[in-house]
Amino acid sequence: MKEDAAKICRRLLDSREVDGVLGLEMVGNIPTPKVFAQADDLGRFEVEPVFPIVTLLRNIWPFTGKERIALVVRGCHELAIKELAKREIVDLKRIHMVGMACSEEQARTCRCLRPYPTKTDIGTKVKGVEDELAKSLRKMTLEERGRFWEEQFKKCNKCYGCSENCPVCVCEDCALEDCAFVRTEGIPPSKAFHIIRAYHVADKCIECGECERSCPVAIPLRSLQRMLADDIKELFGYQAGMDDRQSPVVTTLEDAPLKEESE
Amino acid sequence: MPEFEPRILAFCCNWCSYAGADLAGVSRLQMPPNIHIIRVMCSGNVKPEYVVKSLVEGVDGVLVLGCHIGDCHYISGNHRTIKRFALLERLMDDLGIDKRRIRVDWVSASEGEKFQKVVSEFVAQVKSLGPNDIRRDAA
Amino acid sequence: MEPRIGVFICHCGSNIANTVDVEEVVRYASTLPDVVHADHNMYSCSEDGVGSIKAKIKEKGIDRVVVAACTPRTHEPLFRNACEAAGINRYLFEFVNIREHCSWIHMKERELATEKAKRLVRMGVAKVALLTPQEESESPVVKSAAVIGGGVSGMTAAISLADQGFETHLIEKGSELGGLVKDLGALFPSESTPLEFVKTMRDETAASGVRIHLSSEIKDIQGYIGNFDVTISENGKEEKFKVGVVITATGADELKPVGEYGYGRYPNVITQSELEKKLAKGERVGNTVMIQCVGARQPGREYCSRICCMTAIKNAGRILALEPKSRVVVVHRDIMSYNARNEALYRKSMEDGVTYLRYTLEDKPRVEGRDRAEKITLREETLDEDIALPFDTLVLSTPLVPNPDNGKLQKMLKVPLDRDGFFLEAHVKLRPVEFATDGVFICGCARWPSDVPECISQAGAAAAKASIPLRAGKVRTEAITAEVDETTCTGCGNCIATCAYGAISIVEVEGMRVARVNLAQCKGCGACVGSCHNGSIQQRGFTEKQLISMIDCLTEGD
Repeated sequence: MKEDAAKICRRLLDSREVDGVLGLEMVGNIPTPKVFAQADDLGRFEVEPVFPIVTLLRNIWPFTGKERIALVVRGCHELAIKELAKREIVDLKRIHMVGMACSEEQARTCRCLRPYPTKTDIGTKVKGVEDELAKSLRKMTLEERGRFWEEQFKKCNKCYGCSENCPVCVCEDCALEDCAFVRTEGIPPSKAFHIIRAYHVADKCIECGECERSCPVAIPLRSLQRMLADDIKELFGYQAGMDDRQSPVVTTLEDAPLKEESE
Repeated sequence: MPEFEPRILAFCCNWCSYAGADLAGVSRLQMPPNIHIIRVMCSGNVKPEYVVKSLVEGVDGVLVLGCHIGDCHYISGNHRTIKRFALLERLMDDLGIDKRRIRVDWVSASEGEKFQKVVSEFVAQVKSLGPNDIRRDAA
Repeated sequence: MEPRIGVFICHCGSNIANTVDVEEVVRYASTLPDVVHADHNMYSCSEDGVGSIKAKIKEKGIDRVVVAACTPRTHEPLFRNACEAAGINRYLFEFVNIREHCSWIHMKERELATEKAKRLVRMGVAKVALLTPQEESESPVVKSAAVIGGGVSGMTAAISLADQGFETHLIEKGSELGGLVKDLGALFPSESTPLEFVKTMRDETAASGVRIHLSSEIKDIQGYIGNFDVTISENGKEEKFKVGVVITATGADELKPVGEYGYGRYPNVITQSELEKKLAKGERVGNTVMIQCVGARQPGREYCSRICCMTAIKNAGRILALEPKSRVVVVHRDIMSYNARNEALYRKSMEDGVTYLRYTLEDKPRVEGRDRAEKITLREETLDEDIALPFDTLVLSTPLVPNPDNGKLQKMLKVPLDRDGFFLEAHVKLRPVEFATDGVFICGCARWPSDVPECISQAGAAAAKASIPLRAGKVRTEAITAEVDETTCTGCGNCIATCAYGAISIVEVEGMRVARVNLAQCKGCGACVGSCHNGSIQQRGFTEKQLISMIDCLTEGD
């Protein structure tokens, strides 16, 4: 797949359709982020590892000036870019997305329902995979679910990996670092950490799974996000990344009605 | 053992629910002394983070009272309130946390009796839930 | 420099002191951080009270003030002024409500009420320590007014404003001015007829230069004090104009009691206004029974409509004047004849031969008849006997009910209705002709059923209040607007989407996109703050830190 990707990116660079390609380069056997400015540099271009490429794009974006950037995106990355573009945090006009489908194994690991972008330039589309954990959590009673998450959150060591690597979690001055909401001392942090994180990304989460992938103690955050995505679909008929409208949580009831009894 | 008396926080908006609470007072409608009101201009000002923080740090229940939908003094502040808290409640459900310690309701400036009713009901509700032990899990 | 906080607890006579141990609260307040002075007053809002607060501010070098008393919705401006007079920025003040929200609602629980009052004071002290000085901005007032409703109230208000030199628009739904009064048969006690009275007012209205819009409906009102945009449809044609203030004088309607006592079924069962029309034409109505409180003072509509008893007494007298031999009986559940003049008229009515009998809600009179209503059977309350009352005409005294347009108008003006659907004033005693919303005023039956003298005095009062901002030409806007910390703002746009007034926009600062608030448009609601994930946008006077300091008071030990 990386050869196909490199070929496409080489063409984009040679024709000056883009000024740089954001991607991974193998340095030894470590995939390392790089902006490839010359087609000749694409020798060790790598695309296989699932990587928070959009988080990276977002971080370098203020330094890209007027330059056009290409990057290889999976299904989730495409949606993340869309959510960021909605908020004008990145500019779609300067982004060229090379669509890549995920492998079966990748889809399974992510429990991803849409392991391919709208336009797939590389790879073959595979079927989506249900999140069995999320499904079983739904079937539990409130108390059982509560005990499950309590056990999980006990492991948390407040590394902030989940929020740092999340593509749509954008604030530098993060509420989770505000001692008013999350006490500075102590591990594990209170439930406030997890509730506020999930609440903040809820209307933007495109279920890329970076949060879970980043977690050193394997808290199944992906499944929580799956449940929340279902909730938002039910409450507002809205799906982040797939919807061109503004977040339903910041608009009026006329723009985005609450699909529950209101008063 | 003394009966558990919950400590409850209430956010009330200046134009409707705070005025409704005033009217309840003027009308001498008696109610349990468990609630402490923080005045805001609009219920839309109430961040769910405040409510989460309050509950995590030991407040036993939180009331968010605004204007009826359609009557918000600032047109649509309360639209955001209801949507934010609908989302928060779902999230709490997903995490297995009892959402009955939070109540969002609408009280207009002329509804002194409704204010009394909501307060009395909510205090009874929180009493039945017992003391907030969510802080057990905190640092 | 540490804050120097002064805390003043009010007794409010016995209103607070009877339930809350004021001295205990004072003692407690003096132990709170940064409190350099804690004191109490009998009536903080009195001249003495305010004077002593100002004196203590100067004496103790106090630079922030907490007053624990009634509700800020009445006296906050008073104490802000006191702070300013004593040299403190008026926004370094916090009002704690320990009356409406404490002493009055926990009257049987002195200890618990006192503990709660202590906590509330602690919250107030925590917040005031974090307040920052603010300067109010001014916005201009368009020197014109809109009066909605062309009845007696509307005309009175419009004349008053126009006479003071303000361009005044009087907007009337119907084809002529005069409201309910123009259709009356007689005014009582009065020399002139209602139509003469109304005609005089119409002439005065025109002569004062009021711009009269008849057959006009309000399509939309946007804006705020000093700057309302009014759109009307006058005879189908749209017209727009700007005004600085709006007076609501939309009146009320007589309830038509369809289904009660055979109204709608029998031709001789009529309402008081229908009776007025007949009497005006000199029609004979014969023996008459009047039933009071039809559709009023009962579940579903519990208020007393205040004017129907005097209307009945008036019309009973007129029937007797026209037909001295007819028998008039008024069947009632209490006669509301307030003030000395009305009492005298009631007494005279009895002396002139009108009979007054009582009925109860539980046992209402029953009407009987075939093609016409012929009699009622009344369970007379005092005699506890059934009495049959045959009649030629049955008159039902029904209440005034709110104008059905109130709901629409309320939303445009952003003012509340009470639970019966009448407009709700800012404060029943202290601000009876204003709304809590600045720049909007109320008078007449739109507020509650009132007789003509009451309507005229209310209208005069509303016009007087409305003229204040018009005369000043500017208003100060409360400094509770939002502001953005441009170093932490990510430009995500949540606040912009949330703001109902379009007061926030994205600007570029050193290549970064950040939000910025237009202070002229910001109404100070704080909804934007609720949407901001990292607290970049804050509301002056209600910042995150300030509110959290109050929450912390409840979670840290007492």
